Amino acid sequence: MNNLDSRTRKLLYFGGIILLSIPIIYLGRPSAGMEQGSGGKLAQLRSEYDLGESTLGQVDPSSATMNLVLLGMRGVASSVLWNQANEEQENKNWASLRATTQSIIKLQPHFRKVWEFQGWNLAYNVSKEWDDVRDRYYWVKEGAKFLKDGVRQNENIPDLYWYTGFILGNKIGNSDEWKYFRKYFISDPDVKKWNGGPDSDLNPNRLDNYLVGQIWFYDANKVEALPGIEQHRMQQMLFRAYPSHAQFGYAQALYKEGQFNEQSREAWELAYELWTREFGREEHESPGGFIILESTPEDIKRLSERDGVSEETKRRWTNSYQDRCQYRFWRSLAALESEDLAREARRNIYDGKQFYRDQKFRESQRLLELGMEQFERLLLDYDSLKGEDQIIEDALMTILYWKSIHDVRDEEIPAEYPLKQFFDQHQSRMESVEPFFRREIEN
Amino acid sequence: MDFDPEDINIPESLTYWGLTFGIALAASLVVAFLLAAALGGKKGIPRYFDHLGEGLRDTFGMSLRRVMAISSLTVKESIRKKTLLVFVVFAILFMFAGWFLSGANANKDLQLSVHVSFVLTSIAWMVFPVALLLSCWGIPEDIRLRSLHTVVTKPVKRSEIVVGRVIGFSLVGTFVVAVMSIVGYIWILRQIPPEIAKAELISRVPIYGHLSYLDRQGQPTNKGLNTGDINEFRGYIEGATKARAIWKFENLGESSLRLNPATQEKELLMENSMQSFRTHKGGIDDLVESSEEMEALLLHGQIVLENPEKNLRVSLPQFAIREFHQNLNWIPRKISSTDEETQETKTYDLIEDLIQDDGSLIVEFRCVDAGQYIGMARPDLFVRLPEKPFASSYFKSIFGLWMMTILVIVMGVTASTFVKGPVATLLLLSVFLMGTLFQHFMEDMLAGNLKRSGLFESGIRILTHGNPEVGKEGSIEESAAIKRIDQGFTGFLKLASNAVPNFNTFSFKAYTANGFDVPLRSAILPAVFSLLGFLLPCFLLGYFSLKLRELEAK
Repeated sequence: MNNLDSRTRKLLYFGGIILLSIPIIYLGRPSAGMEQGSGGKLAQLRSEYDLGESTLGQVDPSSATMNLVLLGMRGVASSVLWNQANEEQENKNWASLRATTQSIIKLQPHFRKVWEFQGWNLAYNVSKEWDDVRDRYYWVKEGAKFLKDGVRQNENIPDLYWYTGFILGNKIGNSDEWKYFRKYFISDPDVKKWNGGPDSDLNPNRLDNYLVGQIWFYDANKVEALPGIEQHRMQQMLFRAYPSHAQFGYAQALYKEGQFNEQSREAWELAYELWTREFGREEHESPGGFIILESTPEDIKRLSERDGVSEETKRRWTNSYQDRCQYRFWRSLAALESEDLAREARRNIYDGKQFYRDQKFRESQRLLELGMEQFERLLLDYDSLKGEDQIIEDALMTILYWKSIHDVRDEEIPAEYPLKQFFDQHQSRMESVEPFFRREIEN
Repeated sequence: MDFDPEDINIPESLTYWGLTFGIALAASLVVAFLLAAALGGKKGIPRYFDHLGEGLRDTFGMSLRRVMAISSLTVKESIRKKTLLVFVVFAILFMFAGWFLSGANANKDLQLSVHVSFVLTSIAWMVFPVALLLSCWGIPEDIRLRSLHTVVTKPVKRSEIVVGRVIGFSLVGTFVVAVMSIVGYIWILRQIPPEIAKAELISRVPIYGHLSYLDRQGQPTNKGLNTGDINEFRGYIEGATKARAIWKFENLGESSLRLNPATQEKELLMENSMQSFRTHKGGIDDLVESSEEMEALLLHGQIVLENPEKNLRVSLPQFAIREFHQNLNWIPRKISSTDEETQETKTYDLIEDLIQDDGSLIVEFRCVDAGQYIGMARPDLFVRLPEKPFASSYFKSIFGLWMMTILVIVMGVTASTFVKGPVATLLLLSVFLMGTLFQHFMEDMLAGNLKRSGLFESGIRILTHGNPEVGKEGSIEESAAIKRIDQGFTGFLKLASNAVPNFNTFSFKAYTANGFDVPLRSAILPAVFSLLGFLLPCFLLGYFSLKLRELEAK
């Protein structure tokens, strides 16, 4: 080479560059669009294995630029940022933490765990650090918005839809601050920004938080059902039950808020419908082939013939799967709560507790006794529910109120009273129910 | 703020510098003398003194004209080396930065800090490599290309080469910092929405007090309770007990008052950023509507102003602690207070009655709610003087960055007088990493805060898979001999650590990003002294290295 003069050398380099470019250009030709198999080899492979940014979700241009600029240093950079985020959390430096999480997801936009971890972190761990309920609500929303952003960029990860639904449904509906959070979900405390309406990023149609959560769960199920896609949260059957659970949550929340009206009746009826006609009729894969939770003898026969297993096996697996998702409990509960008598009983007990708090003990006692009697009558038809935690705890709590009135009024507790069997059978549970009772009456 | 600014103690700092420098200088002179005597024989000693004399003449007899000539050549050379291309990188960064930062946080008082941190960090990251590479490669390249030969044969002193180089590179560094800081400033102004800018783009000027605590029995204690935070910066006091946090502010007077826009009176403004810790959730089971009622749900604190000289204690109204928000307390000039014993209501004058004759004010703080805790550190309650414009704090931060750039240049030029370019770069990079990332670790280790961290002790422990947390009595690594050897090493490291500047001193980002003015005594002066402290030693080292260096050795 040294024998060549400078000009020849340059020409040779140039020729080499052109020569090497040909395969690169050929292999790297961009895809012509939606058409499958168009473009160079690399584009074809990308579309075949769903590796292209655009096939994963909406492309964030800044994130793509960042990853390109960092070349191979992305791993190092994201590790540094994760450390920084931890440190900022320890020092309660929330603004920086939020900005750092934003940078992390720029670097790892398609890493499911990052979205899950940080979204959860914001909605649960950061929010609880703030003393003002309004601030806590702000951070719960931040967590949900973060996950929503994750969904936008990763349309094929059902887990992220599920998390968003879970935060909107369960975090808002089940925290200690649920009364505030549920109210804020309808009318945001940041009145200046949202004019007394909901935060339209999360709740554009001003719906109940459980119902918005339900929409997310439905979307999660829709994505999960696509071929080649799976969720990593739990057993598939349990995952698919969430839209119905959101409906249960909604119906229960209405009761907790003292709404015993047409709306709550419809909510419970729909819960029953969703549980038995929608979720209950889905086919779930089990070691004994496909099963249907709400199956008729014909279903069993058909499925066992199709899968080539005995009817006995089919029935055994159906039973086992019903146990796993407490199918029969939820079905009975929804049936019970859909009855007018149940609503009456719940209303009387709720009102009785209210009177108790207002120290109107005579009225309280009358309503509680009425409610207890109705409740007992109702349970005659739902024997299986008598052993369920939720029913037992409800009964014990009501009895505690009722007994406490006797204490206050210095009256003898009669030998027989409605729901007495719960009190006699579940003495051991009093220890765990009593603190809740104390808390309820103290507030 | 989650750090505690401490004022510099000037006499102590100067004494420490003088001692360290004196010891190092004396040690070098003695070692050089011994070497000269040992290696040079009879001629060695006179030559030693010749060099010293020449050194003094070169130092004090520098010609400004020649220094400036070398500086101007250095500037030209830097431009020729396409140094200013750094602006292209800078421009690209700022063109796209908005994508990453805007909307990252909707909370307005938090938005500013993200933007300011970004600007200051990126300027530092842009300037540092420029300063590092320029200064470390200048002289070695001159030697390699033999251009230095033509210079040293002229009547140019080597001290002038060193100083000229430093000044030349500094001019380039200054230019780069100046342009970037102005662009950064305009960028911040443009990024922050105008309605936020007015309220948030300020520099608060705080007066901090001294904090002490009383425990729940009312006995003095040196710190508050820890409620389980990993970060032990704040101490907590328990509500409805005798626990108190007591601040003593000094130098207050008429001039500390400012106009309260609500009352149009001159009042004392205090700001607090304390934190709440709950042992029970409080009344959140019943919905309340109004923001006053919401406020009532928060933990409350109360301030009592005390003047022991006049035996006065005046309670102020209780106030809610809104965590992580700006909480302001306006203390009016005239305060009415009811005496707890006599039930007599009297009006007191803040300046006349409550601030003591020496200008000090004692502020006692208690947590009102029983079973709950409020946590505080010294900077969590301060008197706020009238604000300065944002530019004041921003450009002070830039001044800090500029000083850092100069120090890097000075050290780079010094290193380049005795090693080649790549080695000088690595050397300075290591010093920089030690002086930034590992500064805390180094300080902790030398101060003995890290348990069982001796060189040999931990070495043996690594080999034998020992546990540094528990330790094993009677083992080799914990024997007295090993400890003594380690002590010797630590002593040596302590001395050597003085050669590593704490580059964090030059970063005032935390002040500017949090909307504070950069204080003179606790931030600017320590940085100025750090820079000045390194100038003379670096010059001497650089000058003698270049003077005694064999220029033919490439």
